[in-house]
Amino acid sequence: MKTLKLENKPKIEPGFKTPDHYFENFSVKMMAQFPENEPKVISIFQKRKSLVLMVAAVLVLALMIPIFGPSSTNTKEIDAAELENYITYQSNVNQYDLISVLESEDISNIRTNIIVEDEAIEEQLSLNANLENLILD
Amino acid sequence: MQEEQEFINHLLNPKTQNQAFQRLLQDYQRPLYNHIRNIVLNHDDADDVLQNTFIKIFQNLKNFKGESKLFSWMYRIATNESLTFLNQKSKTSGISSETLQNKTIDNLEADVFFDGNEIQIKLQKAIAILPEKQQLIFKMKYFQELKYEEISEILGTTVGGLKASYHLAVKKIEAFVAIN
Repeated sequence: MKTLKLENKPKIEPGFKTPDHYFENFSVKMMAQFPENEPKVISIFQKRKSLVLMVAAVLVLALMIPIFGPSSTNTKEIDAAELENYITYQSNVNQYDLISVLESEDISNIRTNIIVEDEAIEEQLSLNANLENLILD
Repeated sequence: MQEEQEFINHLLNPKTQNQAFQRLLQDYQRPLYNHIRNIVLNHDDADDVLQNTFIKIFQNLKNFKGESKLFSWMYRIATNESLTFLNQKSKTSGISSETLQNKTIDNLEADVFFDGNEIQIKLQKAIAILPEKQQLIFKMKYFQELKYEEISEILGTTVGGLKASYHLAVKKIEAFVAIN
């Protein structure tokens, strides 16, 4: 056998044949296998039914809100500063009433460390017209 | 690429699908048939695989992301369908894929849809000694005359790797024919 040189032209064909009209028939056969795209028909009765169901759902949700909705409370935490201001300026509670309610531990906790200069004290005392009353008290 | 994307959109749109698919068949049935036939060798088998291939293409078009050309993607499907077909056929027959291939080549002479001569049968027998991937590379380059870049996109092998594999395949085939 002659030495084969694949780079030589013309190239060796594989020698395969197809039946007559194979490709024309193949196209027809393939297209017949695919689903036809029919226009989607939506019944008006079906449409109306969907609309009624939607409205009903909205109504049910609307009715459920007062029953299951969050309950509002008027509770409000009272601000400590507000309470103090009320007791000081608006109520008839005096210091003796407060002392009678407080425990000795509470009293000892009420301790303020205010450092005041002697000059500041003297100044305040000099401005106070009721100085004698304070000394007697 | 934009033109191809438009074509894919036509294939996916129910209103234009049928017309687009007819065009797809017109453009690709012959090259895909030739590719498949080169792998499975027998016309009836090639016909079955070609049908399966187009059905798979139709079913999976919506998943095609456009990372490669449409042509490469379809060829990849055709290749996988052909190889799967041969594996299933060899399993059903209870023989190895190599034995099946040689048996099919022996039957070519009597095949109505083969008009080749002695050298063409010898060439098929020489190709059959190559590893599966090398056979594919040789057939796609030699018989189908695809460019290395196209084969690279289909098989996922580098162009350099393809060139090396093809030249080696040529040497092996020529050596086989010289001895046999």
